[in-house]
Amino acid sequence: MTRIQLILIRLLLLALFLGAWEVLPRDGIINPLLLPPFGDVITTLMQLLGRPQVHEAILVTSAEVIVAFVIAVPLGAAIGVALAESDYVGQIFKPLMFYVFSVPKSIFLPMFILIMGIGFQQKVAYAAFSTLFIVIMSATAAVESVKADHVLVARSYGATRMQILTRVYVPSMMPILLETLRISMIFNFTGVMIAEMYASRTGIGHLIANWGENFQLPQLFAGVILLAAVAIAFNETVRLLERRCSTWRT
Amino acid sequence: MQHLANVTQLRPEPARPAIEVAALNHIYDGRDGQVPALENIALTVGVGKFTVIVGPSGCGKTSLLMMMAGLRHQTSGTINIQSRPIDRPDPDRVGVVFQEASLFPWLSALDNIEFPMALRNAPREERRTRATDMLNLVGLQGFGARYPHELSGGMKQRVSIARGLVQDPPVLLMDEPFAALDEQTRMTMGHELLRIWSQTAKTVVFVTHSLTEAVYLADEVLVMSARPGRIIDRITISLPRPRSYEMMGTEVFGRLRERIWQQIRKEG
Repeated sequence: MTRIQLILIRLLLLALFLGAWEVLPRDGIINPLLLPPFGDVITTLMQLLGRPQVHEAILVTSAEVIVAFVIAVPLGAAIGVALAESDYVGQIFKPLMFYVFSVPKSIFLPMFILIMGIGFQQKVAYAAFSTLFIVIMSATAAVESVKADHVLVARSYGATRMQILTRVYVPSMMPILLETLRISMIFNFTGVMIAEMYASRTGIGHLIANWGENFQLPQLFAGVILLAAVAIAFNETVRLLERRCSTWRT
Repeated sequence: MQHLANVTQLRPEPARPAIEVAALNHIYDGRDGQVPALENIALTVGVGKFTVIVGPSGCGKTSLLMMMAGLRHQTSGTINIQSRPIDRPDPDRVGVVFQEASLFPWLSALDNIEFPMALRNAPREERRTRATDMLNLVGLQGFGARYPHELSGGMKQRVSIARGLVQDPPVLLMDEPFAALDEQTRMTMGHELLRIWSQTAKTVVFVTHSLTEAVYLADEVLVMSARPGRIIDRITISLPRPRSYEMMGTEVFGRLRERIWQQIRKEG
Protein backbone atom coordinates (compact mmCIF):
# COMPACT_ATOMS: atom_id res chain seq x y z
CA MET A 1 0.00 0.00 0.00
CA THR A 2 1.43 3.36 -0.97
CA ARG A 3 1.57 6.30 1.37
CA ILE A 4 -1.06 8.23 -0.54
CA GLN A 5 -3.49 5.31 -0.44
CA LEU A 6 -2.97 5.06 3.28
CA ILE A 7 -3.69 8.74 3.79
CA LEU A 8 -6.77 8.55 1.55
CA ILE A 9 -8.15 5.61 3.53
CA ARG A 10 -7.59 7.46 6.79
CA LEU A 11 -9.31 10.57 5.47
CA LEU A 12 -12.18 8.43 4.23
CA LEU A 13 -12.62 6.88 7.69
CA LEU A 14 -12.54 10.33 9.28
CA ALA A 15 -15.17 11.58 6.79
CA LEU A 16 -17.34 8.54 7.50
CA PHE A 17 -17.08 9.16 11.23
CA LEU A 18 -17.91 12.86 10.99
CA GLY A 19 -20.65 12.13 8.44
CA ALA A 20 -22.27 9.67 10.83
CA TRP A 21 -21.93 12.21 13.62
CA GLU A 22 -23.76 14.71 11.43
CA VAL A 23 -26.47 12.44 9.96
CA LEU A 24 -27.44 10.10 12.80
CA PRO A 25 -28.56 12.82 15.29
CA ARG A 26 -30.23 14.87 12.51
CA ASP A 27 -32.34 11.93 11.42
CA GLY A 28 -33.23 11.26 15.03
CA ILE A 29 -31.54 7.84 15.05
CA ILE A 30 -29.47 9.13 17.95
CA ASN A 31 -31.03 11.60 20.38
CA PRO A 32 -29.66 15.01 19.27
CA LEU A 33 -29.86 16.21 22.87
CA LEU A 34 -27.24 13.66 23.83
CA LEU A 35 -25.18 13.93 20.64
CA PRO A 36 -25.66 17.25 18.83
CA PRO A 37 -24.90 17.05 15.07
CA PHE A 38 -21.30 17.74 14.11
CA GLY A 39 -22.25 20.87 12.15
CA ASP A 40 -23.94 22.39 15.21
CA VAL A 41 -20.91 21.62 17.35
CA ILE A 42 -18.60 23.38 14.90
CA THR A 43 -20.90 26.41 14.76
CA THR A 44 -20.91 26.51 18.56
CA LEU A 45 -17.12 26.18 18.61
CA MET A 46 -16.80 29.20 16.29
CA GLN A 47 -19.14 31.24 18.48
CA LEU A 48 -17.28 30.21 21.62
CA LEU A 49 -13.94 31.20 20.12
CA GLY A 50 -15.31 34.71 19.74
CA ARG A 51 -16.19 35.08 23.43
CA PRO A 52 -13.84 36.91 25.87
CA GLN A 53 -14.78 34.48 28.66
CA VAL A 54 -13.48 31.59 26.54
CA HIS A 55 -10.33 33.52 25.60
CA GLU A 56 -9.60 34.03 29.26
CA ALA A 57 -10.21 30.37 30.01
CA ILE A 58 -7.83 29.33 27.22
CA LEU A 59 -5.16 31.70 28.54
CA VAL A 60 -5.50 30.45 32.11
CA THR A 61 -5.40 26.81 31.12
CA SER A 62 -2.41 27.32 28.80
CA ALA A 63 -0.56 29.20 31.52
CA GLU A 64 -1.22 26.40 34.02
CA VAL A 65 -0.12 23.73 31.58
CA ILE A 66 3.05 25.58 30.59
CA VAL A 67 4.12 26.49 34.13
CA ALA A 68 3.46 22.95 35.40
CA PHE A 69 5.42 21.55 32.44
CA VAL A 70 8.35 23.89 33.03
CA ILE A 71 8.48 22.84 36.68
CA ALA A 72 7.87 19.10 36.33
CA VAL A 73 10.13 18.24 33.40
CA PRO A 74 13.47 19.71 34.55
CA LEU A 75 12.83 18.74 38.17
CA GLY A 76 11.83 15.20 37.25
CA ALA A 77 14.76 14.90 34.83
CA ALA A 78 17.23 16.06 37.50
CA ILE A 79 15.85 13.62 40.08
CA GLY A 80 15.79 10.81 37.51
CA VAL A 81 19.41 11.41 36.49
CA ALA A 82 20.47 11.54 40.15
CA LEU A 83 18.70 8.24 40.83
CA ALA A 84 20.35 6.58 37.84
CA GLU A 85 23.84 8.00 38.38
CA SER A 86 24.18 7.44 42.10
CA ASP A 87 24.04 3.80 43.15
CA TYR A 88 23.47 4.77 46.75
CA VAL A 89 20.55 7.14 46.20
CA GLY A 90 19.14 4.87 43.51
CA GLN A 91 19.08 1.79 45.72
CA ILE A 92 17.17 3.64 48.42
CA PHE A 93 14.64 5.55 46.35
CA LYS A 94 14.06 3.59 43.14
CA PRO A 95 11.62 1.04 44.64
CA LEU A 96 9.80 3.85 46.45
CA MET A 97 9.41 5.67 43.13
CA PHE A 98 7.83 2.59 41.59
CA TYR A 99 5.38 2.32 44.48
CA VAL A 100 4.33 5.95 44.28
CA PHE A 101 4.14 5.75 40.50
CA SER A 102 1.54 2.99 40.70
CA VAL A 103 -0.81 5.08 42.85
CA PRO A 104 -3.38 7.15 40.89
CA LYS A 105 -2.38 10.75 41.51
CA SER A 106 -5.97 12.06 41.44
CA ILE A 107 -6.61 10.71 44.96
CA PHE A 108 -4.23 13.39 46.23
CA LEU A 109 -6.22 16.21 44.64
CA PRO A 110 -8.36 16.95 47.74
CA MET A 111 -5.16 17.43 49.76
CA PHE A 112 -3.84 19.93 47.23
CA ILE A 113 -7.11 21.84 47.51
CA LEU A 114 -7.00 21.79 51.31
CA ILE A 115 -3.48 23.11 51.36
CA MET A 116 -3.50 25.52 48.42
CA GLY A 117 -7.11 26.42 47.74
CA ILE A 118 -8.52 26.28 44.20
CA GLY A 119 -6.40 28.93 42.50
CA PHE A 120 -3.68 28.93 39.88
CA GLN A 121 -0.97 27.50 42.18
CA GLN A 122 -3.04 24.51 43.11
CA LYS A 123 -3.65 23.56 39.45
CA VAL A 124 0.03 23.97 38.64
CA ALA A 125 1.17 22.09 41.75
CA TYR A 126 -1.20 19.21 41.17
CA ALA A 127 -0.40 18.93 37.44
CA ALA A 128 3.35 19.08 38.14
CA PHE A 129 2.96 16.46 40.86
CA SER A 130 1.03 14.11 38.62
CA THR A 131 3.65 14.49 35.86
CA LEU A 132 6.77 14.32 38.00
CA PHE A 133 6.93 10.55 38.44
CA ILE A 134 6.70 9.62 34.79
CA VAL A 135 9.51 12.10 34.07
CA ILE A 136 11.66 10.64 36.85
CA MET A 137 11.16 7.10 35.60
CA SER A 138 11.83 8.04 31.97
CA ALA A 139 14.93 10.07 32.83
CA THR A 140 16.29 7.10 34.75
CA ALA A 141 15.64 4.88 31.74
CA ALA A 142 17.32 7.47 29.50
CA VAL A 143 20.50 7.49 31.59
CA GLU A 144 20.52 3.72 31.69
CA SER A 145 20.31 3.68 27.90
CA VAL A 146 23.76 5.32 27.68
CA LYS A 147 26.18 2.57 26.68
CA ALA A 148 29.24 2.11 28.89
CA ASP A 149 31.25 1.30 25.73
CA HIS A 150 30.51 4.70 24.27
CA VAL A 151 31.65 6.44 27.44
CA LEU A 152 34.83 4.35 27.37
CA VAL A 153 35.53 5.31 23.76
CA ALA A 154 35.13 9.00 24.59
CA ARG A 155 37.40 8.66 27.63
CA SER A 156 40.06 6.87 25.59
CA TYR A 157 40.22 9.91 23.31
CA GLY A 158 40.72 12.19 26.28
CA ALA A 159 37.17 13.55 26.63
CA THR A 160 36.56 15.72 29.69
CA ARG A 161 33.58 15.09 31.96
CA MET A 162 31.76 17.93 30.29
CA GLN A 163 32.47 16.54 26.83
CA ILE A 164 31.26 13.10 27.90
CA LEU A 165 28.05 14.74 29.09
CA THR A 166 27.41 16.80 25.95
CA ARG A 167 28.80 14.46 23.31
CA VAL A 168 27.81 11.04 24.68
CA TYR A 169 25.09 11.35 27.31
CA VAL A 170 22.90 13.96 25.63
CA PRO A 171 22.78 12.36 22.17
CA SER A 172 22.36 8.86 23.67
CA MET A 173 19.46 10.01 25.81
CA MET A 174 17.80 12.23 23.20
CA PRO A 175 15.30 9.72 21.74
CA ILE A 176 13.97 8.74 25.17
CA LEU A 177 13.99 12.35 26.37
CA LEU A 178 11.85 13.46 23.44
CA GLU A 179 9.41 10.66 24.10
CA THR A 180 9.34 11.72 27.75
CA LEU A 181 8.53 15.25 26.72
CA ARG A 182 5.56 14.02 24.75
CA ILE A 183 4.23 11.65 27.41
CA SER A 184 4.73 14.11 30.24
CA MET A 185 2.71 16.69 28.31
CA ILE A 186 -0.17 14.21 28.17
CA PHE A 187 0.04 13.61 31.94
CA ASN A 188 0.41 17.32 32.56
CA PHE A 189 -2.59 18.28 30.47
CA THR A 190 -4.67 15.57 32.13
CA GLY A 191 -3.60 16.86 35.55
CA VAL A 192 -4.67 20.43 34.77
CA MET A 193 -8.00 19.25 33.32
CA ILE A 194 -8.82 17.07 36.33
CA ALA A 195 -7.97 19.87 38.74
CA GLU A 196 -10.05 22.38 36.77
CA MET A 197 -13.03 20.08 36.46
CA TYR A 198 -12.91 19.08 40.09
CA ALA A 199 -12.90 22.54 41.62
CA SER A 200 -12.16 25.77 39.82
CA ARG A 201 -13.54 29.17 38.88
CA THR A 202 -11.92 29.40 35.49
CA GLY A 203 -10.13 27.47 32.74
CA ILE A 204 -11.33 25.24 29.90
CA GLY A 205 -11.75 22.26 32.22
CA HIS A 206 -14.02 24.32 34.44
CA LEU A 207 -16.10 25.44 31.42
CA ILE A 208 -16.44 21.89 30.16
CA ALA A 209 -17.52 20.63 33.57
CA ASN A 210 -20.07 23.46 33.77
CA TRP A 211 -21.48 22.83 30.31
CA GLY A 212 -21.85 19.17 31.21
CA GLU A 213 -23.69 19.93 34.42
CA ASN A 214 -26.04 22.37 32.62
CA PHE A 215 -26.69 19.93 29.80
CA GLN A 216 -25.17 22.28 27.19
CA LEU A 217 -23.94 19.49 24.96
CA PRO A 218 -22.99 21.49 21.83
CA GLN A 219 -20.69 23.60 24.02
CA LEU A 220 -19.36 20.51 25.77
CA PHE A 221 -18.46 18.84 22.49
CA ALA A 222 -16.99 22.07 21.14
CA GLY A 223 -14.72 22.19 24.20
CA VAL A 224 -13.70 18.59 23.67
CA ILE A 225 -12.79 19.24 20.04
CA LEU A 226 -10.79 22.33 20.99
CA LEU A 227 -8.79 20.46 23.63
CA ALA A 228 -8.27 17.46 21.40
CA ALA A 229 -6.91 19.71 18.65
CA VAL A 230 -4.43 21.40 20.98
CA ALA A 231 -3.26 18.11 22.51
CA ILE A 232 -2.84 16.41 19.13
CA ALA A 233 -0.96 19.40 17.72
CA PHE A 234 1.60 19.31 20.54
CA ASN A 235 1.94 15.55 20.41
CA GLU A 236 2.56 15.52 16.68
CA THR A 237 5.14 18.32 16.85
CA VAL A 238 7.24 16.36 19.34
CA ARG A 239 6.70 13.14 17.42
CA LEU A 240 8.06 14.82 14.32
CA LEU A 241 11.21 15.71 16.27
CA GLU A 242 11.38 12.16 17.59
CA ARG A 243 11.25 10.72 14.13
CA ARG A 244 14.17 12.86 13.03
CA CYS A 245 16.22 11.41 15.89
CA SER A 246 14.96 7.87 15.50
CA THR A 247 17.62 6.95 12.95
CA TRP A 248 20.01 6.09 15.73
CA ARG A 249 17.54 4.51 18.09
CA THR A 250 18.60 0.91 18.65
CA MET B 1 65.48 25.17 11.63
CA GLN B 2 62.20 23.54 12.36
CA HIS B 3 63.22 20.76 10.04
CA LEU B 4 66.52 20.17 11.74
CA ALA B 5 64.87 19.97 15.12
CA ASN B 6 62.52 17.33 13.83
CA VAL B 7 65.33 15.30 12.36
CA THR B 8 67.18 15.12 15.67
CA GLN B 9 64.01 14.09 17.41
CA LEU B 10 63.52 11.28 14.95
CA ARG B 11 66.80 9.76 16.02
CA PRO B 12 66.73 9.24 19.75
CA GLU B 13 69.78 7.62 21.34
CA PRO B 14 69.35 3.86 21.71
CA ALA B 15 65.88 3.15 20.31
CA ARG B 16 63.66 2.23 23.24
CA PRO B 17 60.68 -0.04 22.80
CA ALA B 18 57.36 1.71 22.15
CA ILE B 19 55.72 -0.14 25.03
CA GLU B 20 57.34 -1.40 28.23
CA VAL B 21 55.32 -3.12 30.94
CA ALA B 22 57.21 -4.21 34.05
CA ALA B 23 56.28 -6.07 37.24
CA LEU B 24 52.61 -5.35 36.73
CA ASN B 25 50.14 -6.82 39.20
CA HIS B 26 46.46 -6.23 39.49
CA ILE B 27 44.14 -7.19 42.32
CA TYR B 28 40.50 -6.25 42.38
CA ASP B 29 37.90 -6.36 45.14
CA GLY B 30 35.47 -9.10 44.24
CA ARG B 31 32.46 -10.34 46.12
CA ASP B 32 34.57 -12.86 48.09
CA GLY B 33 37.43 -10.52 48.91
CA GLN B 34 40.49 -9.67 46.89
CA VAL B 35 40.94 -11.43 43.57
CA PRO B 36 44.32 -11.44 41.81
CA ALA B 37 43.62 -10.66 38.16
CA LEU B 38 47.05 -10.08 36.66
CA GLU B 39 50.30 -11.41 38.04
CA ASN B 40 53.79 -10.19 37.35
CA ILE B 41 53.24 -9.12 33.76
CA ALA B 42 56.33 -8.00 31.90
CA LEU B 43 56.44 -7.27 28.19
CA THR B 44 58.03 -5.01 25.64
CA VAL B 45 56.88 -4.13 22.18
CA GLY B 46 59.43 -2.68 19.78
CA VAL B 47 58.64 0.35 17.64
CA GLY B 48 56.52 -0.67 14.66
CA LYS B 49 56.00 -4.24 15.90
CA PHE B 50 52.75 -6.16 15.87
CA THR B 51 52.16 -8.03 19.12
CA VAL B 52 49.13 -10.23 19.74
CA ILE B 53 47.96 -11.26 23.21
CA VAL B 54 45.91 -14.47 23.38
CA GLY B 55 44.45 -16.25 26.35
CA PRO B 56 41.31 -17.90 27.69
CA SER B 57 38.25 -15.79 28.46
CA GLY B 58 38.55 -13.86 31.69
CA CYS B 59 42.35 -14.06 31.81
CA GLY B 60 42.63 -10.30 32.07
CA LYS B 61 43.94 -9.58 28.57
CA THR B 62 41.38 -6.86 27.99
CA SER B 63 42.13 -5.39 31.43
CA LEU B 64 45.81 -5.30 30.55
CA LEU B 65 45.03 -3.51 27.30
CA MET B 66 42.80 -0.99 29.09
CA MET B 67 45.68 -0.28 31.48
CA MET B 68 48.02 0.36 28.54
CA ALA B 69 45.37 2.79 27.25
CA GLY B 70 45.34 4.58 30.61
CA LEU B 71 41.66 3.72 31.06
CA ARG B 72 42.21 1.54 34.12
CA HIS B 73 44.78 1.58 36.90
CA GLN B 74 46.94 -1.36 37.87
CA THR B 75 47.52 -2.19 41.53
CA SER B 76 51.30 -2.09 41.07
CA GLY B 77 53.95 -2.03 38.36
CA THR B 78 54.75 0.34 35.53
CA ILE B 79 53.59 0.87 31.99
CA ASN B 80 55.68 3.10 29.75
CA ILE B 81 54.48 4.14 26.33
CA GLN B 82 56.99 6.05 24.20
CA SER B 83 59.31 6.08 27.25
CA ARG B 84 56.83 7.84 29.52
CA PRO B 85 54.44 6.34 32.08
CA ILE B 86 50.79 6.33 31.14
CA ASP B 87 48.34 6.99 33.94
CA ARG B 88 45.46 8.42 31.96
CA PRO B 89 44.26 8.31 28.36
CA ASP B 90 46.64 10.12 26.05
CA PRO B 91 45.38 10.23 22.46
CA ASP B 92 48.72 11.71 21.34
CA ARG B 93 50.43 8.45 22.15
CA VAL B 94 47.70 5.81 22.03
CA GLY B 95 44.71 5.12 19.80
CA VAL B 96 42.24 2.46 20.88
CA VAL B 97 40.04 0.27 18.68
CA PHE B 98 37.27 -1.40 20.63
CA GLN B 99 35.04 -4.39 20.11
CA GLU B 100 31.91 -4.18 17.96
CA ALA B 101 29.31 -1.49 18.49
CA SER B 102 31.68 1.15 19.80
CA LEU B 103 30.74 3.60 17.05
CA PHE B 104 28.35 6.36 17.99
CA PRO B 105 25.06 5.55 16.24
CA TRP B 106 24.05 9.22 16.09
CA LEU B 107 27.10 10.22 14.04
CA SER B 108 27.86 9.43 10.40
CA ALA B 109 30.95 7.36 9.58
CA LEU B 110 32.93 10.51 8.83
CA ASP B 111 31.76 12.26 12.02
CA ASN B 112 32.67 9.16 14.01
CA ILE B 113 36.19 9.27 12.59
CA GLU B 114 36.40 13.00 13.34
CA PHE B 115 35.20 12.52 16.91
CA PRO B 116 38.67 12.44 18.57
CA MET B 117 39.65 15.61 16.70
CA ALA B 118 36.35 17.29 17.52
CA LEU B 119 37.09 16.73 21.22
CA ARG B 120 40.17 18.91 20.75
CA ASN B 121 38.30 21.52 18.73
CA ALA B 122 40.46 20.99 15.67
CA PRO B 123 39.47 23.30 12.78
CA ARG B 124 36.62 21.97 10.68
CA GLU B 125 38.46 21.67 7.35
CA GLU B 126 41.43 19.98 8.96
CA ARG B 127 39.09 17.45 10.56
CA ARG B 128 37.29 16.79 7.30
CA THR B 129 40.48 16.36 5.29
CA ARG B 130 42.10 14.10 7.82
CA ALA B 131 38.98 11.98 8.37
CA THR B 132 38.46 11.59 4.62
CA ASP B 133 42.08 10.44 4.26
CA MET B 134 41.50 7.85 6.97
CA LEU B 135 38.24 6.74 5.36
CA ASN B 136 40.13 6.14 2.12
CA LEU B 137 42.96 4.38 3.93
CA VAL B 138 40.55 1.82 5.38
CA GLY B 139 38.91 1.35 1.97
CA LEU B 140 35.59 3.04 2.60
CA GLN B 141 35.64 5.77 -0.07
CA GLY B 142 32.16 7.16 -0.53
CA PHE B 143 30.72 5.74 2.68
CA GLY B 144 31.41 8.78 4.86
CA ALA B 145 27.80 9.94 5.04
CA ARG B 146 26.46 6.51 6.09
CA TYR B 147 25.35 5.94 9.65
CA PRO B 148 26.63 2.90 11.57
CA HIS B 149 23.33 1.03 11.24
CA GLU B 150 23.69 1.33 7.48
CA LEU B 151 27.11 -0.36 7.51
CA SER B 152 28.03 -4.04 7.71
CA GLY B 153 29.96 -5.41 10.69
CA GLY B 154 33.24 -5.36 8.78
CA MET B 155 32.69 -1.80 7.55
CA LYS B 156 31.93 -0.64 11.09
CA GLN B 157 35.24 -2.02 12.29
CA ARG B 158 37.01 -0.30 9.41
CA VAL B 159 35.50 2.95 10.65
CA SER B 160 36.67 2.10 14.19
CA ILE B 161 40.21 1.57 12.90
CA ALA B 162 40.07 4.87 11.02
CA ARG B 163 38.92 6.59 14.22
CA GLY B 164 41.82 5.02 16.12
CA LEU B 165 44.30 6.30 13.54
CA VAL B 166 42.88 9.75 12.88
CA GLN B 167 45.16 11.57 15.30
CA ASP B 168 48.17 9.60 14.10
CA PRO B 169 49.18 8.11 17.46
CA PRO B 170 52.34 5.96 17.32
CA VAL B 171 50.64 3.13 19.25
CA LEU B 172 47.39 1.39 18.36
CA LEU B 173 45.70 -0.87 20.93
CA MET B 174 43.03 -3.22 19.63
CA ASP B 175 40.61 -5.10 21.87
CA GLU B 176 39.17 -8.08 19.97
CA PRO B 177 38.08 -5.81 17.14
CA PHE B 178 36.92 -8.64 14.87
CA ALA B 179 35.36 -10.93 17.49
CA ALA B 180 31.79 -10.31 16.36
CA LEU B 181 32.47 -10.79 12.64
CA ASP B 182 31.80 -13.94 10.63
CA GLU B 183 34.80 -16.08 9.70
CA GLN B 184 35.31 -14.83 6.12
CA THR B 185 34.92 -11.17 7.04
CA ARG B 186 37.27 -11.74 9.92
CA MET B 187 39.99 -13.10 7.62
CA THR B 188 39.54 -10.24 5.16
CA MET B 189 39.70 -7.71 7.97
CA GLY B 190 42.87 -9.28 9.37
CA HIS B 191 44.47 -9.00 5.97
CA GLU B 192 43.25 -5.42 5.59
CA LEU B 193 44.61 -4.55 9.02
CA LEU B 194 48.07 -5.80 7.98
CA ARG B 195 47.92 -3.63 4.85
CA ILE B 196 46.93 -0.57 6.90
CA TRP B 197 49.61 -1.38 9.47
CA SER B 198 52.31 -1.66 6.81
CA GLN B 199 51.21 1.70 5.36
CA THR B 200 51.15 3.53 8.67
CA ALA B 201 54.04 1.84 10.56
CA LYS B 202 52.23 1.83 13.90
CA THR B 203 53.12 -0.21 16.94
CA VAL B 204 50.15 -2.50 17.48
CA VAL B 205 48.96 -4.56 20.44
CA PHE B 206 46.06 -6.77 19.45
CA VAL B 207 44.01 -8.86 21.85
CA THR B 208 42.12 -11.88 20.54
CA HIS B 209 41.11 -15.40 21.41
CA SER B 210 41.44 -16.65 17.85
CA LEU B 211 44.68 -18.60 17.48
CA THR B 212 44.64 -18.43 13.68
CA GLU B 213 44.22 -14.67 13.81
CA ALA B 214 47.07 -14.44 16.33
CA VAL B 215 49.57 -16.37 14.19
CA TYR B 216 48.46 -14.69 10.98
CA LEU B 217 48.88 -11.15 12.29
CA ALA B 218 51.70 -11.18 14.81
CA ASP B 219 55.39 -10.57 14.98
CA GLU B 220 55.16 -11.97 18.47
CA VAL B 221 52.36 -13.80 20.27
CA LEU B 222 52.08 -13.55 24.06
CA VAL B 223 50.06 -16.36 25.61
CA MET B 224 48.31 -15.65 28.88
CA SER B 225 47.15 -18.11 31.50
CA ALA B 226 43.70 -18.29 33.08
CA ARG B 227 43.15 -16.08 36.13
CA PRO B 228 45.33 -14.80 37.59
CA GLY B 229 46.64 -13.79 34.19
CA ARG B 230 50.33 -14.43 33.66
CA ILE B 231 52.33 -14.52 30.45
CA ILE B 232 53.17 -18.20 30.05
CA ASP B 233 54.70 -18.17 26.60
CA ARG B 234 56.22 -15.78 24.09
CA ILE B 235 56.34 -16.98 20.53
CA THR B 236 58.13 -15.15 17.76
CA ILE B 237 56.28 -15.59 14.47
CA SER B 238 58.93 -15.56 11.79
CA LEU B 239 56.60 -16.09 8.84
CA PRO B 240 57.64 -13.70 6.06
CA ARG B 241 55.70 -10.53 5.33
CA PRO B 242 53.52 -9.63 3.58
CA ARG B 243 51.48 -12.51 4.93
CA SER B 244 49.08 -14.33 2.63
CA TYR B 245 46.11 -16.63 3.13
CA GLU B 246 48.10 -19.53 1.64
CA MET B 247 50.44 -19.44 4.64
CA MET B 248 47.64 -20.65 6.86
CA GLY B 249 47.87 -24.05 5.19
CA THR B 250 51.61 -24.44 5.73
CA GLU B 251 53.22 -26.74 8.24
CA VAL B 252 55.02 -23.88 9.99
CA PHE B 253 51.75 -22.06 10.54
CA GLY B 254 50.13 -25.22 11.88
CA ARG B 255 53.00 -25.88 14.27
CA LEU B 256 52.90 -22.35 15.68
CA ARG B 257 49.15 -22.54 16.14
CA GLU B 258 49.46 -25.93 17.80
CA ARG B 259 52.10 -24.65 20.22
CA ILE B 260 49.78 -21.85 21.39
CA TRP B 261 46.84 -24.23 21.61
CA GLN B 262 48.82 -26.63 23.84
CA GLN B 263 49.66 -23.78 26.20
CA ILE B 264 46.10 -22.60 26.45
CA ARG B 265 44.70 -26.11 26.79
CA LYS B 266 46.92 -26.77 29.80
CA GLU B 267 45.30 -23.74 31.38
CA GLY B 268 41.72 -24.70 30.55
